[in-house]
Amino acid sequence: MRSNGAVVGTLTAMVVGLLLALRVSADVAVVDDSGTRISLKSSATRIISLAPNLTEILFFIGAGDQIVGAVEYSDFPAAARKLPMIGAHNRFDVERILSLKPDLIVGWLSGNPQDGLQVLKQLGFPVFISEPSTVNDIVSLMERLGTLTGHQSEAVQQASNFRASIDASRETYSKRRPVRVFYQVWEQPIYTLNGDHVISHLIDLCGGRNIFSDLEQLAPVVSLESVLARDPEVIVGGGIFGQKPPWAERWESWPTVRAVENKHIYAIESDHIARMGPRLSEGIEALCLVIDKARDNS
Amino acid sequence: MTLLSADGIEASIGNVVACRDLDLSLKPGTVWSILGRNGVGKTTLLLTLAGLRPLTAGQIRVGRDPLNQLTRRARAQKIGLLFQNPDIQFPVTVNETVMNGRHPWIEKWRDSSEEDQSIVDRELGRVGLAGFGRRNLSSLSGGERRRVELAALAAQQTELVFMDEPVNHLDLHFQTELLKQFLANYRSKKRAVVMVMHDVNLATRFSDHLLLLFGNGETCQGSVDMIANEENLSRLYQHPLRRYPADGAYFFYPS
Amino acid sequence: MLIFQTGRDSRRFGWVILFLTALVPVSLAISVSLGSIPIDWGAVVETIRTGKSSVDHTIVFELRLPRSASAFVVGASLALAGVLMQALLRNPLADPYVLGTSGGAAVFALIVMLSGLAYQFVSLAAALGAVVSLALVIFLSRDSGGWSSTRLLLTGIVMASGWGALISFFLSISQQNQIQGMLFWLMGDFRDRGPGLVHYLTLLVVLIASIFASRGLNLLVAGTLKAESLGVHTLRLRFAMLIGAGLLTAVAVTLAGAIGFVGLVVPHIMRLIVGPDHRRLIPAALMMGGSLLVITEMLARTVLAPRQLPVGVITAFVGVPLFLYLLRRGSRQEMP
Repeated sequence: MRSNGAVVGTLTAMVVGLLLALRVSADVAVVDDSGTRISLKSSATRIISLAPNLTEILFFIGAGDQIVGAVEYSDFPAAARKLPMIGAHNRFDVERILSLKPDLIVGWLSGNPQDGLQVLKQLGFPVFISEPSTVNDIVSLMERLGTLTGHQSEAVQQASNFRASIDASRETYSKRRPVRVFYQVWEQPIYTLNGDHVISHLIDLCGGRNIFSDLEQLAPVVSLESVLARDPEVIVGGGIFGQKPPWAERWESWPTVRAVENKHIYAIESDHIARMGPRLSEGIEALCLVIDKARDNS
Repeated sequence: MTLLSADGIEASIGNVVACRDLDLSLKPGTVWSILGRNGVGKTTLLLTLAGLRPLTAGQIRVGRDPLNQLTRRARAQKIGLLFQNPDIQFPVTVNETVMNGRHPWIEKWRDSSEEDQSIVDRELGRVGLAGFGRRNLSSLSGGERRRVELAALAAQQTELVFMDEPVNHLDLHFQTELLKQFLANYRSKKRAVVMVMHDVNLATRFSDHLLLLFGNGETCQGSVDMIANEENLSRLYQHPLRRYPADGAYFFYPS
Repeated sequence: MLIFQTGRDSRRFGWVILFLTALVPVSLAISVSLGSIPIDWGAVVETIRTGKSSVDHTIVFELRLPRSASAFVVGASLALAGVLMQALLRNPLADPYVLGTSGGAAVFALIVMLSGLAYQFVSLAAALGAVVSLALVIFLSRDSGGWSSTRLLLTGIVMASGWGALISFFLSISQQNQIQGMLFWLMGDFRDRGPGLVHYLTLLVVLIASIFASRGLNLLVAGTLKAESLGVHTLRLRFAMLIGAGLLTAVAVTLAGAIGFVGLVVPHIMRLIVGPDHRRLIPAALMMGGSLLVITEMLARTVLAPRQLPVGVITAFVGVPLFLYLLRRGSRQEMP
């Protein structure tokens, strides 16, 4: 009896040990945003980033020193500026990428040229294609990149912090009195965003209402009159947070607009709010703050 | 023997009928002038006789062959045409332009021969432009350019020579000299020449036959002496013309 | 086979052809050797011998060589199309796009991009657009006398404007992420794939046909009627040139989007150097156009590496001063 138990015990130990060993030496695999399965023999240690937000995410999850090359405007954090540049996100230098001998390339579906991504795939590189459009997408992206880079637990933690920070903003602001918000992407012509855009969702999260959420185009050009007609209570655009934006002057000619009358024209850092990356939480905080300021005036 | 015969032809362009039921017979050594007001279709008739425009009725023969059955190349060897040529914007030389006239005679896959070049040189000399071969066509005056074109036409060595206002834009001196020289040369070689002329006096002086186009297809033809009278020409130009004697010949003067 | 006109001319032409024939392989060699990364040629040879892969070999054979080949084909096609267009329209200011072919190609390409179809269809659409545009021009400019150069030109200019308006419209209604791709295509740039058999064949076929038609083209310059009276089948010739130029333009836009300038300037430059005889002009323009674009493509990816510039920008920078210089020299020679 006792010898049988010993045999079973040893066998079990061997099986468990085998399973453990298998799991440790298992391929690292995730599915990217285009549905392709990306599978690496081991965690990536030579990563190319084809978008500034991806660079930020990689640093955020602790994989920053595994990046060997990044596209132009990968400017955050400071260490990212020292990375070898491999061109622009819409026109990158394949030769330079090749010479850096990457084992993982992280790309951006709508921002990178299709041809370029195709060539990289054809040359045999694993290309992880991302296309985050919501906060949840960013969280998932962080976690999956964490898996690929061997920072799974750190990534999960960071992503969780990221989500928590955003949830906190939502908690604080989303139930407050709705405020009509006009988000100005560009001044001349006047570009704004419709309800499908992630920034519009963030405005909702802050308890605001995007006055152009009903339009069909994702980034439509609108007339001055339509802005006047919809009478926003706050106008938000890109600039330096806390400073009066240079484009505010133009609105001051239209005091009938409530936002102008009550001086609720604010700038927030466009890199925070427009890059689908870790600083989105800071962007949300700033966005909710300025929307809230307009709330007081009623 | 007739070099070109037209039987009952009608030539027209758009609403303009140049001639209706016209019979024409071009014999070697003869020079014809086509006269008429602007817009009656003189140029159209010339182009039609040359086979570059379709006939509305009738038939044209070159020698014994129907014109429309000749190959382009054969036709180009028999009929040479001088136009009101548009400006050439490219840097072509005088020599190249005259050599173009030899095109119908140069075999398809060959280049010009020394004999072709000597023909070109001779014709350039005949129009007083010897040595101008390497000059750019655009560097010449209008009159000089016209003379180059005449040389090219001569180099084409065709039995039938059709010219659309050959000497307009030329200096007075060249008008008479060139016509005299060219036509004497063509006559001696037994060619048949047809010219569309604006100047009735040059026409009567240098041609031996006239073809008058009155408009609406009405025509009238014959030797110069027979046709060139006050009545015909006044009706042709719809303006009274008087005939005056000069130097044993005569000229016409609008009254 | 060819007997040149004068001794001096033919010697000069001989030198020019020799130079160009050498320029083609030299330019390709330069283009393959230079890039944003220095190549270890030892490694390349090693890979060829042993089959062991190396980055250097990959860069040379899978990136630079196909791009250079594309550049050559596009440059040669555009230059030849330019020669044909200039002869067809009897106008030295004509270029392959003057009849609106690049506009048509662009519109069709943009439609495919807007509709979200796979990007492989963009090339096909571009070629189709070039051909459709050409067909429209032929159809619309026909009158009782055939197609006069003036009518063709005017119809083409109007078509080009029409396409241009459509392009602006598409750009204005497209999404942000689509615009990137569209602008990329409109500025003209090379993919990293090489030319396919159909591109090579088209170039070859049109080249051979053009050389055969050279004498006729020379005569056409003197006037359509005059050429006809000298025995040239002008209708057939002009139609064939139109089709040939259209196909070449389609090849070019398929491989490289809308690259301007080459089709206008190269025929002009070569005409100033070897003269207007198409038997000389056609091969000379083809070789020059190909080599020029090979070099400019190399410069576009090297000069500010790793930043990659659109090729059309470099062509203008290189072509304009070259052209101006030759123009001044040429005009001085013309003075009697």
